[in-house]
This record gives sequence, C-alpha cells and structure tokens, in this order.
Amino acid sequence: MLCNTYKMTVGLMHSVTLYHWEPNANSGKPMLALMEKGVAFESHYLDLLKFDQHQPDYLAINPQGTIPAMVHGERVLTESTAIMEYVNEEFPGPRLMPEDPRDRWRVRWWMKFLDQWLGPSFSMIGWKVFVGPAVSSRDPGELKAAIERIPLPERRVAWRKAIYGQFTEEELKESQRRVALGIRMLEQELANRPWLASNQYSLADINGFNLAYALPLSQPALSNDELTPNILRWLRAIYARPATKACWALGRTNLVKRVTILEQPGRVT
Amino acid sequence: MRMTLYHGEPNGPSLAVLAALFAKEVQAELVRIDLESGERHTLPCAQEPLVAMSVEGEGAVLVVAGEAMTDSVFIACYLDDVGQGAALRPADPYGRWEAMRWCRQTTERTAPAAAYLGCWAHPPKADAALLERIGSVDLRARWEQIAAGEFSADHLNDSRTKIHQAAERIEARLDGRQWLMDRFSIADIETYAWLAGMVRLVPAAFAAKPRTTAWLARVRTSPAVAQALSLARTGDPAASWSVGPEINRWG
Repeated sequence: MLCNTYKMTVGLMHSVTLYHWEPNANSGKPMLALMEKGVAFESHYLDLLKFDQHQPDYLAINPQGTIPAMVHGERVLTESTAIMEYVNEEFPGPRLMPEDPRDRWRVRWWMKFLDQWLGPSFSMIGWKVFVGPAVSSRDPGELKAAIERIPLPERRVAWRKAIYGQFTEEELKESQRRVALGIRMLEQELANRPWLASNQYSLADINGFNLAYALPLSQPALSNDELTPNILRWLRAIYARPATKACWALGRTNLVKRVTILEQPGRVT
Repeated sequence: MRMTLYHGEPNGPSLAVLAALFAKEVQAELVRIDLESGERHTLPCAQEPLVAMSVEGEGAVLVVAGEAMTDSVFIACYLDDVGQGAALRPADPYGRWEAMRWCRQTTERTAPAAAYLGCWAHPPKADAALLERIGSVDLRARWEQIAAGEFSADHLNDSRTKIHQAAERIEARLDGRQWLMDRFSIADIETYAWLAGMVRLVPAAFAAKPRTTAWLARVRTSPAVAQALSLARTGDPAASWSVGPEINRWG
C-alpha cells in the first residue's frame, strides 16, 4: 500500500504537458486517456495545418516531428498508443486496461489493427478530403519549404501526396475497400460484447473512437443505425462519457465538430 | 489452462513466441506447421477475424481456451502476464513504455523490411488451392507477388535501408548496456527474431557494429532463445521466411 501511494505521489508531483493537434486520430488518444484518468495536463496545441510540428521548438522535443508527444517531468514520450498504456499505468484513476490477460491481448490486437491497417486507410481519405485542400492554397514556395523541413522521409511522401493531390485511384479504392471491411469487422466484434475488446471500457475504445467518431457522416452508406447498430451504440456510449465531451470541446476545426452527429440518435440514416 | 501453440521454424514471429514461452516456463502443446507453404490457412481457426486479419502476416498462433491469438509481441505480453519465469517487460510504467515503443518501431519498420528481404532470398511456396483459402485480400496479394517473383527494386532498397537503421538504433541503444532494456526482455526477443536472418542478407548493416554483433550472440545463446532454436528442423532456421507484415502503403 505504501508503495502504491508513493508511486501515485511520484506520478502526480511532476507536471504533464501534452503536445497535440485536434482530438482526432493519434492526438486524441492520449488526450482522452488523460481525461478519463482525471490527470490535469498542460495542453500545447500544435496546428498541423500550419506545420507547427516541424518547427525547431517542437523538433527539440520530438526530433521525428510526429504528433503527439507528452512530457512528464523529465520524461519525453512519443507513439500515441504506447503513451496511452503509460498514462494508464502511471496515474491513479479508472483502469483503462482489463484485468484478464487475454482481454489485454485483445485490446492490444485491436489497437495495432486500428493503428497500422485500418487507420492509414481512413487517414488517406481524410487527408485527401480535409488536410490536402486545407493547405494546398498556400504559397507554393512556402509549401515546398515546409515539406523539406519534415524529418521523416515517409512523412514527406505523405504530405506531398496530400498537398498535391497525388493519391492514385487505385490507392484510394484500396483504402475504401479496407474502410468497408474494417467497418464490418468492428460491427461483428461489437455484436459480441459491449465494448470493442472486453466487457469493460478500455484503451481500445479510446483508440477506436478517435478513428471512427465521425463514421455516420463520413461513410453514411456503410455505417448507420440500420446497417451497423452496434457501432452506433458504441460511438454514442463513448460520446456520452464526460471525459469525451470535455476532450472534444478542445477541438478548433470543423473536422472534430463532426462528432455532434452522435447527439442525434435515430436520425442517422 | 490448456494451450496449443502452432508455430513454424524458429525464425521471425515463431521464434519470438517460442522464446517467450520458454522464458516464462509456460506449458503448451507445440504443433509444428509449415508457414512457408501457407499451412496456417488450413487450421480450424484460420478464418477467425483476429487470425485472418493479423497485421503480422504468417506468424504463430496460440490457442487458449478456444480463443486463437496472433501477433508475437502481444502473445509475448500475454505469456509474460500468465507465466512463472522472470519478467519479460520492465516493472515500471516508463520502462514498459520504452519496451512497447521499441517493439512498435521494430514491428512497424524493421519487420516488413526483414520479411520482404527474407522472402526475396528464400521465397515461401504455397500452391494455388491454398492461396485461395487466404482470408485477407492484401495478405493473399503479397503471397501472389512472391509466387510471381515480383519484388520491387524500390522496396528492396528501402528494406535494406530499414535494416541499416535498425542496426544503428541497436548499436546506439547498447552503449553502456547488455540488453535493449535494463534486462533480457521482449524487446531483445522480438528484435533478434526479425534480424537474425538479416546478417547474411544485409551484411554492411552490421559491419563495424561491435555492440550489435555481441548482442546478437548474447541473445542467440540466452537459454530461452537457444531452446527455441533447438527446435529447428532445417539446420538454418534464419533462412526460413514466410509472408510478413505489409510495407507501409503511405506515410
């Protein structure tokens, strides 16, 4: 008991700063995990669309220039899913990982599937529809310089494709195939239990919500109350949580305001 | 609890899971399957979504109480939770974050590169009837490309670069330490499992890296990894490859 108290004190005695963009995709994962745990943190908003994440002051914190990053005392943490596991273990508050080891395996399986298979396909469509058009009207020279400042070569490729509209029809078709299959898999899994990976709310749900919160708007023909009742039930249950409401209230763009579709039960078709 | 582990030759994800099983002293029925001929797709659990759609590709499958589990890192976490042997992850949350982050970078960046180069040098072979049983469209496409001998020069070059980067990360990490974390861990097992076969395929990546070279030998001769390698049937398990994780589609 003494050990636990000490650990909690150590965890709380250092300040937490989160460098993030919108409560959406990777940024939203540690934001929502911190809020669910009730951990106070200093929010440092980086405007992805203004390339704040590639400016020297942020690269001094995370040289890879990826968002989010969390600073806890002297510790700098990156990789949003790994950060969530740290947040869950380091701080007191509700447990966001189930007790059963097999349930924990399922949580991690789904998070990897969302992060590395389904997420990039959602993201490709999102970047084509939202991110690319949002920045492509800027001065061409400024954009070129901004791309050249990106540290990771694969991120340079991604930004180039988004800004100059270089996604091929084949790439987009494959992403759409994966989104459709991923929706079917989520619906099937959520028919088995109340939450995605176990019978309790977990990091897998936080991860999944960040990816799928706007599904009824972005994929209305594939995800609606008739076709995917379990997904809609799940999204609404997560959005009803106070932490989720507080987290999405930090959003500044129309991208995350799409979440309000979940305030209209039964009207989504 | 009754467990069955379906595994291939001890290399890549099969090696990682076998080593974790032995390190944690977990009892399981070991069933050898030929991952290089796609035999995993003949298992009764092959069409279960969390098997068919495993991001890892052709890895080991652990069946516990009727549930088929895939992905070597997460199976190793499970075994770490339920087994009796020494812990395979650090005890404190920051150390565990370091271990999970390291494994994520390994499985996301190194593993696809190693599997691509491994399959290029030692192509797995599945017959047409078996390919049709593969539930994942994109995994089947990767099998078909290998069967047709279609390896892109860009992907081969990029994969070699990724192996160089992995060796550089390891060499830097091992400055002043014997293992990638404070003690032998899941990070050593997973990283070794993907890189053991790369020493011959990308020798330049390991040249003039004394710490990495010594670490490879240290992991290979560690009790759990040595026990896993003793199950090899081919005499050269590091040359056994099957289709691995997909190379990132974009960014």
